[in-house]
Amino acid sequence: MSAHKSDAVIIGGGIIGTACGYYLSQKGLKVAIVEQGYLCSGSTGRCIGGIRQQFSSSGSIRLMMESVKHFQNMEQELGTDVHWHNGGYLFLAHSPQKKQAFLSNIAVQQAAGLKDVRWVEADECREITPGMDATGLLGGSYCPSDGQAYPFAVVQGYAGKIRQSGGSIHTFSKATHILQQGGKVSGVRIESGREFSAGVVINAAGPWSRDIGQMAGIEIPVEAERHEALITEGVEYMNIPMLVDYRADGGYFQQYRHNGQFIGCYTPVPNVPGHSTDSTFEFLHQMPKRMLKLVPGLKDLKVIRQWAGSYENTPDGNPILDRTGLDGFYTVAGMCGHGFMLGPAMGRVAADLIVSGGRDLQYPEFALKRDFTQAEAMK
Amino acid sequence: MASNTDKIVCRCEDITESEILEAIAQGAATADEVKRLTRAGMGHCQGRTCRRLVNQMLAKALGQKPEDQRPITQRAPLQPLTIKALAEYKEP
Repeated sequence: MSAHKSDAVIIGGGIIGTACGYYLSQKGLKVAIVEQGYLCSGSTGRCIGGIRQQFSSSGSIRLMMESVKHFQNMEQELGTDVHWHNGGYLFLAHSPQKKQAFLSNIAVQQAAGLKDVRWVEADECREITPGMDATGLLGGSYCPSDGQAYPFAVVQGYAGKIRQSGGSIHTFSKATHILQQGGKVSGVRIESGREFSAGVVINAAGPWSRDIGQMAGIEIPVEAERHEALITEGVEYMNIPMLVDYRADGGYFQQYRHNGQFIGCYTPVPNVPGHSTDSTFEFLHQMPKRMLKLVPGLKDLKVIRQWAGSYENTPDGNPILDRTGLDGFYTVAGMCGHGFMLGPAMGRVAADLIVSGGRDLQYPEFALKRDFTQAEAMK
Repeated sequence: MASNTDKIVCRCEDITESEILEAIAQGAATADEVKRLTRAGMGHCQGRTCRRLVNQMLAKALGQKPEDQRPITQRAPLQPLTIKALAEYKEP
């Protein structure tokens, strides 16, 4: 079997792999994506499609501001409707501590250039979210330019552009070996024994990125964590933003503009480490309880499905976007539940880094070797 | 693209036979892929009507037996349930 040849092999066919592939193709590189399942079969296809710029660290805020610009232009750029809609995000504060934290985050966000984020009092939260029960609410952090898009359409849009540029996508092709020659990366071998040779290999394997790193003896500090989600039938669009309630019995949910479905999830306490797509009955009755507490008018809405997928966490809640100790081998992983929203900007920045031979590190705060103790507060 | 004489396969999401055949022509080899490309099986009934049809179409196109095709994953709830009914559940 002769080896497949390209300029860059990307391990992972989710948002990160396909966005990296798209931007590298735009720069004239021939890319090959190897994916263990099918496109979107990992974390991307299990996410709820929210897109926000409200973070606590300048790097994530700036990256997300760029991503929002990409989402705004995406229909034209990729030639497919990705259902982008700037419905906004409203983070709710029910305690003085939360209010203080949001106020200081808003200052950081505005300093980073995010001009439309602002603190809104409880009365205005009710106006922004018709039908909301604001019991105990002090106010919220609101950014109307945050929004939503449809993950499957975005990934298929990138994949289509990669194929148009002469790149290739290999599904059901699980990477098993990182190949090296003369101290440099030289390609990837997959389970069937087939080899994909290239001078650049990108680890975009999400919750499996630690395993991929280990194939080259490189430690990637990424741990999978199970998160569950549910979706309802579609109803008339209610024009409410994504609501984020960080309380221990809170959750996050939004309504898709394009088909009226509500989609939501919460972070379990305690967390559930390890990759698993098992869903639980506890989530199926807890999530509706949490949605109803915030918007009682949703009571007659029908839940049609629940599922689960992995966050891919790093110790500080920020992504890893860097070269590694092995020349030509890059890591773009550890998105901590924000891979879909970060994806477009991550792909653009990663492509710049790769064509510069690993020198153009635009976000040193996302380096592989860093102090992981400064945690992101708006996970 | 759907034509006037096209057959509806997924009634919930209005997905036609030709849209599913197009997804298979694009390289979809499993029901899971067809679902993500077309939304067949993603609607109100969660594929209870169309999943067998999609599997038959895949098997025919790929020269397999329908039972060789793994159907799309079934998840709870087995029928749509209201937010209120779920929220009012009490631990026994």
